[in-house]
Amino acid sequence: MDLSLDTRAEGEHTVVSVAGEIDVYTAPKLREALLELVNAGKYHIVVDVERVEFLDSTGLGVLVGGLKRVRAHNGTLQVVCTQERLLKIFRITGLTKVFALHGSVAEAVAEN
Amino acid sequence: MTDVADPPVDVRDVAEIDMSVPAEGAYLSVLRTAAAGLAARLNFTLDDIEDLRIAVDEACSILLAQAIAGSRLTCAFHMTEDSVTVRASVRATSPRIPSRDGFSWTVLTALTSRVEFDIRSPDLLLIELSHQRPVVGLA
Repeated sequence: MDLSLDTRAEGEHTVVSVAGEIDVYTAPKLREALLELVNAGKYHIVVDVERVEFLDSTGLGVLVGGLKRVRAHNGTLQVVCTQERLLKIFRITGLTKVFALHGSVAEAVAEN
Repeated sequence: MTDVADPPVDVRDVAEIDMSVPAEGAYLSVLRTAAAGLAARLNFTLDDIEDLRIAVDEACSILLAQAIAGSRLTCAFHMTEDSVTVRASVRATSPRIPSRDGFSWTVLTALTSRVEFDIRSPDLLLIELSHQRPVVGLA
């Protein structure tokens, strides 16, 4: 299982839809995608992990790295996640207090 | 892997399963899948299966950071009626006990009953974790 990424614009936001498994092997692909967006001046990013089947601490690290980069430009990085098994990892690491977690992309882009 | 996949095998009769994969991130998914399959055989709940899958991934990811390029990651699953113990190791040039802070360690300790690192020889880094089967089993 690899990782697939689909990026699209939603108003002022850039939505990155992620599918597959995010681990040590695949996380660099997501890191690279977020870095490219920031370098292209996209500072309001929504990462949709609804189709992610596996997420470990490496993936969390990539999301935190992305958040730090956009914040340096007064931007936002929001996460769309309703899967309990993924939310559990966010909770264990205390990241539910760091990320704005949303139930849908529509909900995420409505918030600014 | 064949033993794991055959439905008739009663996991309680299989004391130890050893796996060896190249010490590369691409093979983590293989070990995760094996761990989940074995936990399922012990009638772990879906939540506990997922916990073990993530714990094995985190443990092996930590080891891979120090593994000698081109070496192998070995993973032994020891099963009893109420627990799975996973002992994973890699060869490392100068093994160091990994840091006990950071997301990885936080996740590992939250999802296991016990986790320990050890340096068994000048070039062997080992991690051992246990996951208890829930006391109240599901049918």
